[in-house]
Amino acid sequence: MLLNNTTAPAALEGITVLDLAGPLGNYCGKLFADMGADVILVEPREGAPSRHAGPYIDNHKACESSLKYQYENTSKRSIVLDLERPEDRDVFLQLSKRASLILESEAPGTLKHLGLCYATLRRANPAIVLTSITPFGQEGPYAQWLATDLTAMAMGGMMYLAGYPDSAPMVACGEQAIAAANLFAAVASLAAVNDAEQSGSGQHVDVSMQESVVMGLENAVQFYDLETTIRKRNAGTQRLAGTGAFKCSDGYVYLMAGGVGSNRFWGVTTEWLVSEGLANAEQFRDAKWADQAFLATEEAKQVFHDVFAPFALIHTKAELHTKGRERRIPLAPICNATDIAADPQRTYRSFFVETVDHDGNTLCMPGAPYLLEATPWRLAGPAPTLGQHSAQVLSELRHASYGRTYDLQMEEGQ
Amino acid sequence: MKRLLTGTRIIDFSWIGAGSYTTKILADLGADVIKIESTQRLDTLRVTKPFKDGIPGVNRSGYFADRNSSKRSITLNVKSEQGLALAKQLITDAHLVSNNFTPGVMDKLGLGYDILQNIRPGIVFVSMSMQGANGPAKKDLGYGLTIAALTGFMHLTGLPERPPAGTGTNYPDHIPNPGHAAFAILAALRHQRRTGEGQMIDLAQIEPTLAMLGPNLMNYFVNGTIEERAGNTHPEQAPHGVYPCAGDDRWIAIAICTDDQWLALSRALDLPQQPGWASLAGRLADQVALDEAVSRATEQFDAHTLARTLQTQAIPCGPVQDARDVLERDPQLAARKHWVTLDHPEVGPSTYNSAPYRYSDALSQPTSPAPLLGQHTHEICRDLLGLDENEINQLAKAGVLA
Repeated sequence: MLLNNTTAPAALEGITVLDLAGPLGNYCGKLFADMGADVILVEPREGAPSRHAGPYIDNHKACESSLKYQYENTSKRSIVLDLERPEDRDVFLQLSKRASLILESEAPGTLKHLGLCYATLRRANPAIVLTSITPFGQEGPYAQWLATDLTAMAMGGMMYLAGYPDSAPMVACGEQAIAAANLFAAVASLAAVNDAEQSGSGQHVDVSMQESVVMGLENAVQFYDLETTIRKRNAGTQRLAGTGAFKCSDGYVYLMAGGVGSNRFWGVTTEWLVSEGLANAEQFRDAKWADQAFLATEEAKQVFHDVFAPFALIHTKAELHTKGRERRIPLAPICNATDIAADPQRTYRSFFVETVDHDGNTLCMPGAPYLLEATPWRLAGPAPTLGQHSAQVLSELRHASYGRTYDLQMEEGQ
Repeated sequence: MKRLLTGTRIIDFSWIGAGSYTTKILADLGADVIKIESTQRLDTLRVTKPFKDGIPGVNRSGYFADRNSSKRSITLNVKSEQGLALAKQLITDAHLVSNNFTPGVMDKLGLGYDILQNIRPGIVFVSMSMQGANGPAKKDLGYGLTIAALTGFMHLTGLPERPPAGTGTNYPDHIPNPGHAAFAILAALRHQRRTGEGQMIDLAQIEPTLAMLGPNLMNYFVNGTIEERAGNTHPEQAPHGVYPCAGDDRWIAIAICTDDQWLALSRALDLPQQPGWASLAGRLADQVALDEAVSRATEQFDAHTLARTLQTQAIPCGPVQDARDVLERDPQLAARKHWVTLDHPEVGPSTYNSAPYRYSDALSQPTSPAPLLGQHTHEICRDLLGLDENEINQLAKAGVLA
């Protein structure tokens, strides 16, 4: 609903970002671009690595058809530069002089090898912020270790908490280690850019993907630190009696009868189940069910299962969701993509947005993660084709450097 | 060394998960975050395990502590007339007011955006409800786990033939929502600094969580593909999985991205070969047999030792680490000084997360342990509200500072 509000100011206008398309993707740059920064994706000749990662439009691998690429690069411009070539490096340095932020995710030392270490960039532009997103950070014993999303989830500890007690630990869907590193990098970078705009002095920001995953350990480290217990995975079981996934007639629901940490919703859940006429639900009124220690026992979980599971099984996800909603009990359907796309709340908020790519495909995707009243999120355009804005960016650069504009057509003829 | 958000004042009504983790990010960066608490309605995490030595108490929860480092706490009964006036007074020189209640709660307290923007023109007001300020589901309540259910995290994580697994945590509370909220806040604070204009930020916790699954959702919208759980497999890489190692519940994650890495792994583990396995297509077509072969080879090794060995052969892999491993055993996290020990007034020396980023010319680790309930009530009344001892005592006696 805010998408057509093109006259509103952008929160990040005036910020130019050079997004050096690296192996850890481009979501960080997208966050800046969709809030109004001028984000220039600097691609090698073969294109950003995210162009070569699935899923693909119509399952057809091509330079412009990766949905990961299309999602992570909205509202950006693209220029092709071969940073191994001195003349292209010089262009990059010229661009750096006019930029606020450079994003990169190459192995530590790669930029230095190219003669583009932070000290060099800073000499060109003292206010420049350089953000390096790497698997483990710039220094340390694992700095040169190879990693992927899977191995970072393992080494950061989140994986150990996910999965079934009798299975291997499970990786989260959607490459969350990479996403988390990009998200924290965006926060860290914007704080540094805000400061540099006032102090005139930039920073090198060193983001670790492993460490980003560690932020997702909930209370597992504190359990070890304070009570010396090691939290394990528990999928397919109830975390506590009344908290877990329950099978229903058309899928699963997730019920949190106790809420988090307390038994805030136990009473209302009990009265609901009693009102449904469930055999043996009255016993949940007994004081022992208010005790977390009891809820953690196998006995309590079995009793709850025996009362609730047969009831859940003869209702749909939607029916149970409605019943939970009416009584303000945290009960949610376990949704797949169809359910998510059909949610009237998302439609009401115009959350999913459409753009048309350069081949004419309509691409629908998640839109504004936040609604800012005065400076709305907006999609400035689809992800660029490889090198789409090379001539334009070079022209702007020469115009800025020498005070004259080159003929765009001549540039394109180069 | 400087902190990047020094001089930023935040009046923080957030509690439990995502809200408190958002303001922790800002507090650790140097913002003065004043957490408005109530003894009548405790932040649930104050009474949530784990507790120091397993003994419950409002100042003993490690779950609460880690999410509230570097903040100050004032207990204030904003349902009383005087308490409400003091809250408003605190807001008159703040930059940001934050909450993660369901929509309408701040309005009912007399602290809605409409009122606050008159008291403090230019204020940024962030609300982090589950479903957003408006719409048919605006009153829904939820936690990270139910948000994970609604957004596909549960459906898509786990084994296809087993029930949905999810991350086993309230993941949306820890990374997707605090990360996006902090970014939006920093963007709004920039606009405030440059123009003097404030604004309302309406964040529906479902939506940043969905934003973390963009390509998965686009696969449905664009291709009509409803993605399903796929265990630890990868559509374009094999072997790609988690394999057993020596010891109790010890595992190694291995992700082979290229044919060269496959050859290196085959040599390092002396794997049996099948004719098709030389190509990615052949490996993807025969993953069960492939994973069995890798598992038979890994189970004799210590996970950490094997990971070090395979890394010398340029194979992407890593041990599956538990909470003790990341805290006590990981030399990389230690080298980065990720874990910070802070001396909490009641709990004593205890462990806190630092942010996952380091600055060349600024600090980003927590400055102080989580506050005791109301620990800073007196100093905030004195220093920020300009009250004298007598006035503070009278307010305390009247139950306003509770």
